[in-house]
Amino acid sequence: MSTAEMAGDERAVRGTSSPVLGMVLFVASEAMFFAAFFAIYAMSYSSQPSWPPKGVTVPSIGVPSVMTGLIVASSFFLQLGVRAIRRGDGRRLSLWLATTLLLGATFVALQLFGYSQIEFGIRSGIYASLFYVMTGVALAHVVGGVVFLLLVLVRSATGHLTMVRHEPAEAAAIYWHFVVIVSVALYVVFYLLVSVQPKGP
Amino acid sequence: MLLLSACAQQGATDQGKEVHRLYGVIMGLGAFVFVLVEGLLIFSIIRFRKRDETPPPQVFGSNRALLGFFAFGAVLVAVLFPFGERTLSDLQKQEPPLVALRIEAFQWEWTAFYLNEGIFTTGRTLKQPMVMELPVAEPIHITLVSRDVMHGFYIPAFLFMRNAIPGHPTTFTFTPNKIGTYPAQCTEFCGLWHSRMTFVVKVVSPTDYADWVKRKTLKGIGGTCSPHGSDVHLVAKNTTWNTSCIAIPAGQALSLTVANEDEGVKHNFAIWKSIQDAIAKKGQIYQTGPFPGVATHTYSVTATAQLQPGRYYFQCNVHGVAMAGAFIVK
Amino acid sequence: MAVTEARPKPLAPEPRRGRVLTWLTTTDHKKIGILYLVNSFAFFVIAGILALLMRSELARPGTQFLSARAYNQVFTEHGTLMIFLVIFPTLAGFGNYFVPLQIGALDMAFPRVNALSFWLLPVGGLTIVSGFVAKGGAAAGGWTSFAPLSEQLGTGEDLWIAGLLLVGAASILGAINFIVTILRMRAPGMSMMRMPIFCWSTLATSLLVVLATPVITAGLVMLFTDRNLGTSFFSAAKGGSPLYWQHVFWFFGHPEVYMLILAAWGIVSEILPVFSGKPLFGYRGVVLAFLLITALSFSVWAHHMFVTGAVELPFFSITTEMISIPTGVLFFNWLATLWKGKLRFEPPMLFALGFVAMFLIGGIDGVWMASPAMDFAIHDTYWVVAHFHYVLFGGTVFGIMAGVYYWFPKITGRMLSRRLGLWHFWLQLVGFNLTFFPMHMLGLQGMPRRVADYAPDRGWNTLNLLSSIGAFVIAAAMVVFAVNVILTLRKPRTAPADPWSGNTLEWATTSPPPPHNFDRLPVIGSARPVYDARLAGTVAEGDGS
Ligand code: HEA
Ligand code: HEA
Ligand code: CUA
Ligand SMILES: [Cu+2]
Repeated sequence: MSTAEMAGDERAVRGTSSPVLGMVLFVASEAMFFAAFFAIYAMSYSSQPSWPPKGVTVPSIGVPSVMTGLIVASSFFLQLGVRAIRRGDGRRLSLWLATTLLLGATFVALQLFGYSQIEFGIRSGIYASLFYVMTGVALAHVVGGVVFLLLVLVRSATGHLTMVRHEPAEAAAIYWHFVVIVSVALYVVFYLLVSVQPKGP
Repeated sequence: MLLLSACAQQGATDQGKEVHRLYGVIMGLGAFVFVLVEGLLIFSIIRFRKRDETPPPQVFGSNRALLGFFAFGAVLVAVLFPFGERTLSDLQKQEPPLVALRIEAFQWEWTAFYLNEGIFTTGRTLKQPMVMELPVAEPIHITLVSRDVMHGFYIPAFLFMRNAIPGHPTTFTFTPNKIGTYPAQCTEFCGLWHSRMTFVVKVVSPTDYADWVKRKTLKGIGGTCSPHGSDVHLVAKNTTWNTSCIAIPAGQALSLTVANEDEGVKHNFAIWKSIQDAIAKKGQIYQTGPFPGVATHTYSVTATAQLQPGRYYFQCNVHGVAMAGAFIVK
Repeated sequence: MAVTEARPKPLAPEPRRGRVLTWLTTTDHKKIGILYLVNSFAFFVIAGILALLMRSELARPGTQFLSARAYNQVFTEHGTLMIFLVIFPTLAGFGNYFVPLQIGALDMAFPRVNALSFWLLPVGGLTIVSGFVAKGGAAAGGWTSFAPLSEQLGTGEDLWIAGLLLVGAASILGAINFIVTILRMRAPGMSMMRMPIFCWSTLATSLLVVLATPVITAGLVMLFTDRNLGTSFFSAAKGGSPLYWQHVFWFFGHPEVYMLILAAWGIVSEILPVFSGKPLFGYRGVVLAFLLITALSFSVWAHHMFVTGAVELPFFSITTEMISIPTGVLFFNWLATLWKGKLRFEPPMLFALGFVAMFLIGGIDGVWMASPAMDFAIHDTYWVVAHFHYVLFGGTVFGIMAGVYYWFPKITGRMLSRRLGLWHFWLQLVGFNLTFFPMHMLGLQGMPRRVADYAPDRGWNTLNLLSSIGAFVIAAAMVVFAVNVILTLRKPRTAPADPWSGNTLEWATTSPPPPHNFDRLPVIGSARPVYDARLAGTVAEGDGS
């Protein structure tokens, strides 16, 4: 084995292997993607006399709060799984992955249910545009995350992940935490802010 | 570079003159950098051509040099920026205006409303550009709006440009100081006929200006015509109606046919109480939905049955006074 | 001096497959690099022919060849293709081929992702071009596609959006790959501050891509939903604003232009030292300048929006002017590299010197517009067209050509003809200036850009004619170049490993390199390992071919 590859392995053990670094960069890129939407949200917020604009009925905050609570919890469970595999405990990892998956799927289901309760349509102005497109792309990311976790679960359950080589789990966790952060941010701007502190004329 | 200075426009407004001065400063600075860098480059090319096999000195650079290089640029920027800012604040100075204009841009034409005089001037797409007259040596205050997409209000001789933005009116002031006729044009790409969205600015003496205003006032939407009956056929072509006057008998519903022959351009037909109301967007009596050409739609209009005899006003709401006329109920 | 044994690991023999299939399924960074370059050149010919159409139309006032409808599609596609499918992928192609070689790596960090990010490109590009056969024609909103005009246009615009989404995804994946490769795959001894400057420029470019390209992706999503699902992000009547599109577009658009130039700076910073026989003057200064420009480029976007009157003018003016400070540092480092050198005027060097001379003009043009008061007089006139062709063609295309002449022997094992290279250079230099210098004057006289036609009485006729003639001189130069390439490819592979007395690791292996890149790596004790080896008399000769 050449020195380069030895150095590579060392770094892999320290947790900054190429796939993990790649995932960090990918998440940075995704963060800018969402930042663009949040920037438009902020500009609309400051340029409108009232927020949410007249005629928009904010959906009740109950179900979204539960959803957000669930997905935040899933992040913790997933991290427990990652800790487990760092100790080499693949069985625990599979367990926590399954839990996370379940919570993620519940989130998706509740979100879809939530859409059916909304009283305004996507065509009814800037607020509706922001709401549907931002939650929509975020939902797509959650679904992507669920698929990703599922793939990791398959590899974990078949015993492919070990204490030294478990980049997929690390990478999936980074991605999932990011998706959760986005979900929380969306909860803040589309439910918390507009229910608790609406901007009036 | 010399060629470039020859091309500079003088700037036919007070503000344009300032810009021209800034132009001189930037030109000088740019020429200095240009001559310095290209000079060193050409000198090196001539002087340091490889002539023998002795190895050249291996110089890696130093922090001192790096600092010097940064300082050079920093000094130039420190000179340039304040000049630019001074000119900018001169441009933005507001003077009490004599002439207040509201200029509306739309695909692909201009309309200027003279707010104090109560007149307007407009162009007709692909037929004849807008001609607007301005008195010399008076501050002109302009509010610029767009009815559809982004446009650019640009008078090259004034060295000034501003975007017309839908939903976002902007204002600016300038003072023309040289009598003359200045061609002008839209400079923000706005679709198919962007290249034909020209207009003409005539800067004239105050007396000529007063004359022009008088003539415009008389012309207005003052025509009259004999009744059409209750069947009205309208054709919109080249952003112009086939008539500037419609007359109908009182107390009757209308059968209205609108033929839009402008490919890809939207028109509609609307009746208002008066032109002032149409500009203020209140008191609309009737409107059809806008539709793009080439197409013909027929409507039965009952709103006209309630109208008192008198003079009303019609227009295409997409193009405003550029496509308008008198609507008379007899 | 010893030469370290590196990577004696035997590689699995390349599976034998049909030649086409090999290219379609390759994950070798060198083959992918070649694919990038070939693909880019194909799109260059398309976009260049579109340019010739425009120049033919503009040669005289009146409408001769293109209706206004066609003209608008043509300039839109010309700009879009040149930027997204010619310039950027060419630089990415060089990056693919030479970054792993220059840092002494076997391949990119993620070879399969690398193949994916290439193949998305021609798909995206063809999607954009396919607008020409769509109902209503190709996209016709300019490469900037300002809303709300872009919301009025036909199917071509949706194809344009879809194509750009693909190209954007490709470049983000590619950039992540570059960053990981550069940070993680360097050979022993190759510290960051010994890394070839071209790798630094690719690293900076990739950072810009990762952070700026997703923003336009978001913008494209919004434009798409506005057009097709009835949202109103950019529609003022329903609470949105056309300015949102401009903010999003230019927040990406300005870093984008540095993505288009940084790697060209890198190439030139490789070539000038080699042909001066000196090291790059102020290597650390150049790296610092790259990083400063990368950071600053996120703070200047609204200099494209001065005439909206809706942005903070002084702020964006000063940040824009500040970018010229580190750019100036680059220029002075290049000049100092030439100073007291022993200059050899081979074609790569000529193009590199042409780059320095021409990019300077474009840069100064840019500083003019950085003063809002001045920009009010020349925004969206031909001055802007002159500026960006001086930086993009006078800068990047000259830089790319320098790179082609420099690296062609490494890629193909054959030297391009010097005589044809000289013809190419001089024709291109003369044609380029003839085409684009008159545009400065047209701009100052107020000729707007993006017009299919102009009035014959504005005094613009002669300058336009000159410019059109120049465009055909450029075309002649490109034909010479194409002939040079074709003739050379039919010759035997005779190029030595290191034809130019290079400095960096790609010259330590054979021309072309073996699939595994290096049989042995020289010791990397400085930024110029091959120079050191040559000096020590242990030139790392490959086994020839
Ligand atoms: C490779 C691409 C590239 C590069 C590198 C640049 C570089 C620069 N650009 Fe350019 N630009 C474009 C591509 C590029 N641009 C494009 C494509 C457009 C048009 C988009 C569209 O509308 O379609 C555009 C438009 C554009 C505008 C908007 C104009 C308008 O629409 O009204 C402005 C305004 O400030 C600008 C400024 C600058 C500046 C200040 C630089 C600087 O980075 C230049 C710095 C370099 C130098 C200054 C020279 C060397 C420096 C020295 C020797 C030091 C000393 C000198 C001084 C301090 C003066 N550019
Ligand atoms: C890197 C980018 C790049 C490059 C290299 C070029 C190259 C050229 N450009 Fe382009 N241009 C842009 C980027 C570029 N352009 C952009 C971004 C716009 C703005 C678009 C917009 O407004 O939205 C623009 C706009 C633009 C306009 C303004 C249009 C308008 O506003 O109305 C014009 C006008 O003359 C023009 C001309 C040219 C010409 C003549 C060339 C020439 O240099 C082209 C030369 C190339 C060829 C001629 C290729 C031919 C090759 C061969 C012939 C080889 C033969 C092959 C074989 C035999 C196999 N360009
Ligand atoms: Cu209006 Cu261009
Ligand atoms: Cu810019």
